[in-house]
Amino acid sequence: MNTATALLIVHGLLAVALLGAITHQALSVWVPASKPAGSFVGRFRGVASGSYVNAVIVLYVLTTVLGAIIYPEYRLNVRLVLEQLELRSQNGAFELKEHFAVVGLAMLPAYWYYWRQPLAADNARSRAVLTAILAFIVWWNFLVGHILNNIRGFGS
Amino acid sequence: MSTPRAFGVFSVVFAVVGSIVYVICVEQNYALFSYHPAVNQFGAGVQEPMDGPVMYWYGWIATSTIAATLAGLLACALPASVAQRVWSGWAWLIPAAVMIVFCYLLRNFFL
Repeated sequence: MNTATALLIVHGLLAVALLGAITHQALSVWVPASKPAGSFVGRFRGVASGSYVNAVIVLYVLTTVLGAIIYPEYRLNVRLVLEQLELRSQNGAFELKEHFAVVGLAMLPAYWYYWRQPLAADNARSRAVLTAILAFIVWWNFLVGHILNNIRGFGS
Repeated sequence: MSTPRAFGVFSVVFAVVGSIVYVICVEQNYALFSYHPAVNQFGAGVQEPMDGPVMYWYGWIATSTIAATLAGLLACALPASVAQRVWSGWAWLIPAAVMIVFCYLLRNFFL
């Protein structure tokens, strides 16, 4: 296993942790559990939203930095294959992934500021929408990365 | 420890300017530097491919981060009366709009 493959696996593991954290937070903000939940889904929604902020920021930055480190490997060994196979939509999906990741980075300071304690009621909508957009970016980037990895094949 | 109110203004301006400048950088190719992955070499500004593909993504991020940081710091100098009127929603509305712009710019990949 070469270094790039090892970094890709760590990148994927960090993305899984980030996916869990941001999904917990987004669901607890948009569809909060109204009473002590008994079901798995109810408990998933019934978390303290604010407790995920620092974890989301650290995981987002780490995942993006690691993605940036392995990006040249993708550019040299994966994108060319996608182009040769004429997989245009998959190629475009990755283009969106790289741009969405940067837009998410730009939102992180505001995301942190509007989630700081004590939570200001005036900023509830901004807090919720920032979280939803970050959740969308994380889900998009995770799924696109997963699909592209499946196309190219592990360690090939 | 309380967070200075100025950071709220900084964060909104950073999100707005960072997103807008980034999409402009991508569209006009204003990369601060280029990277040639095949030969593991960086070069200042926008360069032509050299022994393989050239990557501008890092350069676009550098350009937009510098612009967003400078704009955010300038915004921190705004009088408190003006800073209080900065709508927090700009921090998500503009980035969301920029994401839609990217979908439009890259539409040919999906058509």
